[in-house]
Amino acid sequence: MIIDAHVYLGSSLFGYAQSLEEILTSMDRLGIDKAILAPVKPRDYHFAPMNELVAAAVKSNADRLMGLCRVDPWQAEGAVAEMRKGFDELGACGLYLDPWEEGFQANDDIVLPLVEQAGQYGKPVAINAGHARVSHPTQIWDLARRFPDVQFVACNGGQINICGLLLFEARRMIEDCPNIAIQTAGTYREDFLEEIASEVGEERVLFASRSPVYDQEFEMTRVRLAHLSDSQKDKLWGSNALAIFEA
Amino acid sequence: MIIDSHTHVDKFGWYDPPETIIRLMDEAGIDKSVIMTYGDAPDVEGSLEYTAEAVEKYPDRLIGYARINPRRGDEAHRLFEKAIEEYGFKGLKLHPVGTLCHPAGPETIEIIRLASRYNAPVLFHCGDEELSLPLQVAQAAEECPEATIILGHMGGYFHWKDAIRVAEAYPNTVLDTSALPYPQAIAQAVERVGSARVLYASDGPGCDPRLEVHKVRLANLAPEDEEAVFHRSIEAILDRVTTHGDRP
Repeated sequence: MIIDAHVYLGSSLFGYAQSLEEILTSMDRLGIDKAILAPVKPRDYHFAPMNELVAAAVKSNADRLMGLCRVDPWQAEGAVAEMRKGFDELGACGLYLDPWEEGFQANDDIVLPLVEQAGQYGKPVAINAGHARVSHPTQIWDLARRFPDVQFVACNGGQINICGLLLFEARRMIEDCPNIAIQTAGTYREDFLEEIASEVGEERVLFASRSPVYDQEFEMTRVRLAHLSDSQKDKLWGSNALAIFEA
Repeated sequence: MIIDSHTHVDKFGWYDPPETIIRLMDEAGIDKSVIMTYGDAPDVEGSLEYTAEAVEKYPDRLIGYARINPRRGDEAHRLFEKAIEEYGFKGLKLHPVGTLCHPAGPETIEIIRLASRYNAPVLFHCGDEELSLPLQVAQAAEECPEATIILGHMGGYFHWKDAIRVAEAYPNTVLDTSALPYPQAIAQAVERVGSARVLYASDGPGCDPRLEVHKVRLANLAPEDEEAVFHRSIEAILDRVTTHGDRP
C-alpha cells in the first residue's frame, strides 16, 4: 500500500493550488492508494473553512483520504478551539502546524497549548520543519523533548539546507527523540533518508510528497530508487503512516 | 551520453571515495562526472591530490575541479595553476559558505580572473545561505564578464527564481540542476536562458544521480534540449579550457 502522508488541498495564499479532483487523478496515475490531506493557507487567512473543505473531501472519499487540521498558533484560544473542532467534529487524524507560512517559531510558547491538547487527544502533530529561522531541527527537537508522549512528524526530513549544514543536527534530533518521524519530501540528500531508515529506524520515515509544493512523481521516485530493502520500503510507503495516523 | 557536472570525492570529512560515485554513475548510466572535494585547498591538506588521484584512477570517467580557498592569496593561485597545468583539472569550485569569502570580494575576484586565463569555469555553491545567494554570485559575474560562472544548485530551495533572473541578466552565467527538488524549475530555466546554459548535475554521491537524472526527464524538455543539458553544454564549456593560461 502506498500512502502519501502529506498532500495539500486548496488554493494557497502563496500561489500553489490543488483541487480534490487533481489530487485523485494524480493518485490514480501514480498508483497511490491513500493520501493525508493538509489544508493550504487561503487568501483570506481563515483556516476554519479550509478544515471543513478537507473534512468534506475525506468524507466523500473515506477509503482513500485522511485529513489534518491546520491552525495558526497566533490565534491563541481560537486556534485551540479550531483544533478541538477538527478532532471532535471533523474527524482530523492529526494537527498540522506550518511555522514557515504562519510565521512563528516551532517551539514558541504559543505552540505549547496546541501540542499539549493534541497529545491529550492522542493525535500526532505534523510540522513544516527544516526552515532555519522558524523550524530548525534544534527547535523541533526542543519541542519534542518537552512532549515525549506526543508523536511528531517533521516535514522535509527535518532539514532542507542545500549546503548540508542541518544534516548533523537533524540526525541527532531523530536519534534523541523516538517520538519524531520524518517525511521524505524535499529532503536534502537521499543518503540522509537511507541512513535514517537503516541506522536509526525504518519505522521513522514516511513517504510524503507535499504536493503541489513538490512534484508528487519526483517525490515517489525518491523513495522508489532509495538504496533500501523491499521490506524497509514497504514501511516507508505506507505502514509507518498508518501506524502514526490511524493510531 | 550523460555527464554529471557536480559530484564529490572526499576522505577528509564526509567519506566518499571515488568508488562510491563510480558505483552510482554505473547505476544511473552516467558516462562521466566532474568531481571535487568537500573541503578547500590548502586548508584541507592533500585535498587536491586526492581529487587528482581519483581522476588518475578513473581517467575515462572522472574530471577534476579544484576546490580552493581564495583567502589564501598567492598560495591559492599557485595551487590552482598546478591543478590545471599538472593535474589536468578543468575548473575551479568555490564554496563561500565554507571559506567566508564573498563571491565578489577582492580575493575571490582575483582567483576567478586567474581561472578565466585558462577559460576554466568557476562553479559556485549557490543556494539559500548568505554568501551564496544568486544575487551575490551575480556580482562576481558582473565584475568578471570574461569568466564562466556556474550557479551550482541554481539557488537551492528558495532562490531558484533569482538564479534564473541572474542567468537572464548575465550571459556568462550557467545554471546547474543539482539537488533542488523542482523539475519545473529546470523547465523554466531552459525556456528562459536556453539549454546551452543549463547543466545536468547531481551533487552526488549524497544526492542520488539516478534521481537527479529522473528530475531532468520530468522537466519534459525537447530532445535536443535534454541532450544539451545532459552533456553537450558542459562539453562545450570544458572543451574551451586550456592548460597553459594563455589568455591575457
